[in-house]
Amino acid sequence: MEILRVENLTKEYSSNGVTVRALFDINLQFNQGEFTVIAGPSGSGKTTLLNIIGSLDKPTFGKVFFLGEDLSKKSKSELSDIRLHKIGFIFQAYNLIPVLTNLENVEFPLMLLGMSGRDRKERALNIMEELDIAELANKRPNTVSGGQQQRVAVARAIVHSPILVLADEPTANLDSKSASSLLDLMEKMNAGKNITFIFSSHDKNVIDRARRLILLKDGTVVQDAIN
Amino acid sequence: MFIAKLAWRNIWRNKRRSLIVIVSVVVGVSSSLLNDSFGVGIMNQMIDNLIKSHDSNVQIYKSGFRENKKVIDVIPGKDKILSLIGRFKNINGYSERVISFGLISSAANSSGVSIVGVRPELEKNVTDIHKKIVSGRYLSYQRNEIVISKKVAEKLEVELGDKVVAVGSDIRGNVSSQMFRVIGIYRSGISEYDNINVYVPLSDAQQMLNLGNNIHEIAVSIKDYRKSSELKEKILAELSNNNIDKMLYEVSTFQELMPMMMAFLDVYQQWSYIIYIIIGIAVLFGVVNTMLMTVMERINEFGVIMSIGIRNSKLVKMIIYESLFMGLIGTITGFIIGLLIYYPMSIYGVDMSNFSESMASFGLPNIIYPKLNTIVIINTLLIIPFVTMIAGIFPAIKAIRLQPSEAVRFV
Ligand SMILES: Nc1ncnc2c1ncn2[C@@H]1O[C@H](COP(=O)(O)OP(=O)(O)O)[C@@H](O)[C@H]1O
Ligand SMILES: [Mg+2]
Repeated sequence: MEILRVENLTKEYSSNGVTVRALFDINLQFNQGEFTVIAGPSGSGKTTLLNIIGSLDKPTFGKVFFLGEDLSKKSKSELSDIRLHKIGFIFQAYNLIPVLTNLENVEFPLMLLGMSGRDRKERALNIMEELDIAELANKRPNTVSGGQQQRVAVARAIVHSPILVLADEPTANLDSKSASSLLDLMEKMNAGKNITFIFSSHDKNVIDRARRLILLKDGTVVQDAIN
Repeated sequence: MFIAKLAWRNIWRNKRRSLIVIVSVVVGVSSSLLNDSFGVGIMNQMIDNLIKSHDSNVQIYKSGFRENKKVIDVIPGKDKILSLIGRFKNINGYSERVISFGLISSAANSSGVSIVGVRPELEKNVTDIHKKIVSGRYLSYQRNEIVISKKVAEKLEVELGDKVVAVGSDIRGNVSSQMFRVIGIYRSGISEYDNINVYVPLSDAQQMLNLGNNIHEIAVSIKDYRKSSELKEKILAELSNNNIDKMLYEVSTFQELMPMMMAFLDVYQQWSYIIYIIIGIAVLFGVVNTMLMTVMERINEFGVIMSIGIRNSKLVKMIIYESLFMGLIGTITGFIIGLLIYYPMSIYGVDMSNFSESMASFGLPNIIYPKLNTIVIINTLLIIPFVTMIAGIFPAIKAIRLQPSEAVRFV
């Protein structure tokens, strides 16, 4: 089943009168349950593409359809709600909220969804157990390792059972061992919960584990292949 | 709750910066509380002093007497009026007075004065000059006694027991004079009164001015000074009820007797609002500035929670909570500190005798007892938290204007 389609997507940034074309005429289609890596050198447009797919940014030309709906027709708060209900994000720098405990970080999307305190806690703890980080629940993010923080970030991204998880170079700050165990985890969630994963990377080890690989170069797709 | 908890913890991320904001609120709140309670205390005491030294709450005269002070303008049908007044409840008492301008002379000097004839027992229910005797005693019912102020005594170079001669014009316009013996010297603390009022027995004054048993003024004292205007209305109504021609009389409240003082009070009230506005603006800028800094520092974090899907309204709520919490902590702490300083001062008073010489003409007493009233409490407890809430709005707008993709990239 198709969940996401990108049509003739072009993104230009202009600053100080200079226009930079970050993406040019991208056409892509994603189905539910895919495990896709977007690879490409630095500056090739990976982050830009993920941001636009995730409704954090708008294309200059072209359209993004998420679950059949044209995102360009949505208001700011409708987009917030789509992200809240259907999409999870994982960032390179973990980006947990430092004043919240790991558990509270995982609870955060559930809180925004209006879930009651007790249900929220139970659900968040369950996910953390599944990801083997339950013992970190009451610690603050900055007191645990980078690999552990990224697991908490994964828990936060999937706790509300999104359809799509977008991860921008999630392993870039991790050593190879932590990176591969994080990938194990994402594969497990992908298989067990049928969550679609799209992530960007330029790490050879990550790229090898992709089931679908999209290669970007200078803002255009130069390869799109199933492994 | 979660948002409130998050906001609360965010305050303590940069303790020093938040504390600076909180301390500025504390100083603002406690100082405005003290400033106001001082002002209210001074005003109350000044008014009270003026009322108790001479003016009383409500005065009744024949129409025109207050303006021209003609000896002939005695109160028509005063016995009827007195019996009406006597029936009022909630009054401390009333005093019959004869008032006449004249000259008082000793061997050394003479001084223009207002000779006030009173019945000592009645006057004691209305004013407290009898408590402000610095040497000698107050009037009794003996004849030819006079109580003068310390100032007049110094000018005339007289002491207790000395004789003075009072000269005035009687009801027919003839010069009349009488000798008095100084039996008491008072000091009211209000130079306007000290300079001019001398007290003699009512009957002596009536005799000297050939008034028979007529009087010029009835001064009424009331338990709650705020009900003065009400009393005036009641008196006027009673006059009508008894078919007495209201036009013959003039009934004045102390507010009407001291227009300067009331104007001064008004100005003070305005001034204290200006102080509030100044403090409010200072707090506003402090909080806006701090909140803007924290927003700029947390752009990346805002980007993250925006990507998670926070709605603008919740984001605004979080930021406003942060500034409101700082305002509340500061207000409550400032209020408590203010009260802790206020309480002992309100009980023991603050000695202002260094300033009292210059302030005496306003009726300012030596010892000020600050007084908190509900308006002060409401002002201090509501204004600052409200201001800090307002201060949160601008940084909050700044935050929701962020483009999530840019914010997430921001480091
Ligand atoms: N906000 C921006 N303003 C101007 N240019 C930008 C902005 N964001 C990205 N770019 C440019 O767009 C191109 C693609 O960037 P990006 O999507 O970050 O690539 P990648 O994630 O693959 O490194 C780069 O040339 C980058 O300099
Ligand atoms: Mg990138």
